[in-house]
Amino acid sequence: MIVRRIGRFFDDRFGTNAGVRFFMAKIYPDHWSFYLGEFALYAFGLLVATGIWLTFVYEASQGGAFTSVVALSRATPIGYLIRQVHHWSAVTFVAAILLHMARIFFTAAFRKPRELNWVVGVTMLVLASLTGFTGYSLPNDALSGTGVRIANSVLLSVPFIGRWAADVLNGGVYPGPLLLSHLYTIHVYFLPIAIAGLLSLHLGMLIYQKHTQFVPDPAHVVGRRFWPDYALRTLAALAFSIAVILVLASTIEINPIAGNGPYQDWMVPNPATPDWYAAFLDGALRLGPAWEFSIFGHPLPAIFWPGVVMPTIMLALVISWPWIDARFTRDRAKHDVLVPPTFAPWRVGVGTALLFAGFVLTLAASDDQQAFALHVSVAGLVLFYRIVLPVGSVVAGLLAAAVARELHVRLEQHGDEAEREVVLRRTASGGFAEEEPQST
Amino acid sequence: MNAMTRFALICAIGAALGATVAAAFHAAVSITGLLGAVAALSVAVAAGAAARGLHAPDNLTEVRHERGPSKVDPFPPDVVTRPGLFGRLWLYAIGAFAVMGVVPFVALARRPTPRGTAWSRGARLVNPDGTPIKADTLVVGAVETVFPEGHVDAPEAATLLLRLQDDVLRVRPDRAGWAPQGNVAYSKICTHAGCPVAIYRRESYQLYCPCHQSVFDVLDAARPISGPATRALPQLALDVDRDGYLIARGDYSEPVGPDDWWRPT
Repeated sequence: MIVRRIGRFFDDRFGTNAGVRFFMAKIYPDHWSFYLGEFALYAFGLLVATGIWLTFVYEASQGGAFTSVVALSRATPIGYLIRQVHHWSAVTFVAAILLHMARIFFTAAFRKPRELNWVVGVTMLVLASLTGFTGYSLPNDALSGTGVRIANSVLLSVPFIGRWAADVLNGGVYPGPLLLSHLYTIHVYFLPIAIAGLLSLHLGMLIYQKHTQFVPDPAHVVGRRFWPDYALRTLAALAFSIAVILVLASTIEINPIAGNGPYQDWMVPNPATPDWYAAFLDGALRLGPAWEFSIFGHPLPAIFWPGVVMPTIMLALVISWPWIDARFTRDRAKHDVLVPPTFAPWRVGVGTALLFAGFVLTLAASDDQQAFALHVSVAGLVLFYRIVLPVGSVVAGLLAAAVARELHVRLEQHGDEAEREVVLRRTASGGFAEEEPQST
Repeated sequence: MNAMTRFALICAIGAALGATVAAAFHAAVSITGLLGAVAALSVAVAAGAAARGLHAPDNLTEVRHERGPSKVDPFPPDVVTRPGLFGRLWLYAIGAFAVMGVVPFVALARRPTPRGTAWSRGARLVNPDGTPIKADTLVVGAVETVFPEGHVDAPEAATLLLRLQDDVLRVRPDRAGWAPQGNVAYSKICTHAGCPVAIYRRESYQLYCPCHQSVFDVLDAARPISGPATRALPQLALDVDRDGYLIARGDYSEPVGPDDWWRPT
């Protein structure tokens, strides 16, 4: 009733009903894996909501940041809960983006005409990780401050412009007086606004180009109507996403900074491991070789290779994947129908190898704790991971491709079986028995 | 409205109000949070049940419109133009503006300052509480984080003071006398990525960085012996003043902390 009245108000003045009807009648393909991206979207909403609240209690200064965050947790349980929700939303946000991306990759949804949306999505993954990292750093506790220090050292290692870039970030020589204020601006304004902009572009392109689907009908979108069917489903997805994050936030403590103490450049907790999405970079720094070159009398620090070169190559590879894939498959046609992963075992192999490499690097970020637990030397474990990183990735890729190929064959056979006509005969006891197929 | 949806919505209302009351009475985080989670989950169940109850078809179709190419020239045929209207000079002009745009960013950078620390000639070594340290304050095998007097917590100045037996240190000829009575001092800032080299393994005379597991040999000028670090921790030259307190002979003679392109070699 009230909705109709509001609708009439706007339609009277702007003629909105035609546009609203277009969106209400729109058909969306449905599949469980399509909700991964929605989870990321709703986590982002929760991040913005809790983040705005947190800006009212946070103090962005070298001296006040840690105290303000600890006070927020101690003053009211709800403040602690909101910080928990914010942090858990951040880590699940990045995880959901990665899973969503894996779905896109393995079903080849990135192909023409959706290459740009892939690029936008990968960019958002990078921005989400950066937002996570800057947010993790804002409390300026001993652990996150050390993380910033490492990031600063990686920035410094870039030839020629490194010192300039680090000085700009710090507002002077590290630890500059403006470091936290800069991190705050980057975390609260630049990155979220960039993500919101790209998100609009992402969804805009999705609606305009229409969603991909598994149903092999390239001429039509096949699925559910938005109103009320799909709207209810996405509402359920929204509420479910919030419920998952709330359960995590109210049962598992994340980043308990009070125990770390405030950051000073001469104190660090041991062990020191970052949030999961940044761990692969830390792992790379641990596995990186102790090389230091000198070019024309200028040092090129060892952390430049694992800290800057490796992630840049990985990112370039991932972001240009639609074009690499097109060249590899010699397929430059437009596609709206998804490929079940098993139809392209080689792509399963490549994706698995990449994920495995990321997994090994992530594991390496806690090699000291593993070495301690397993009673082996850290140096030995580093050597092990250095070998497993290339060799294991190739093996994992080949194995995954082989499994996909095998599954494909079995599914094909199973499919044939499913379509086979059978004749059932009622038995004397009331059950059913299959008659032997007669040879023709 | 089906029974499941109705029930779930009632649960949602109850749980949401319950969470509000719990928050108002400063209940434990887990209670407030879980009540909120129950409310959200109930909404999810309500919406899911409602969607299921519709028995709406999942095979409705909509035509996929061809979005391109539109096969239309972007410029109307009657556009007034002439050859060379947008010549290369325009590009150079845009390039010039781009170059000009770099100026503010360059201006943000400070002048490359000499990256010295707060250590100076004659500065007494103090522990983080500010207490000066005598040559015999530390027992053999002990370690302490020290700063120049009056500059506790000064950036990059954190230094590890270790007391060794008199004869174990392999003294380099150019560092003779830097470690009076077995007191040897190295920068605490790792040369790899700038973490504090916070762990001393006394039995093997090794300094260990908890961030990336670089190991430095205390007996051999803090040379890196394992892990990703490539450069030794700089050594602070020590002396003893008339009252028996440890003092620095000056600032570090080489840059402290991680390397960059502009570090003098």
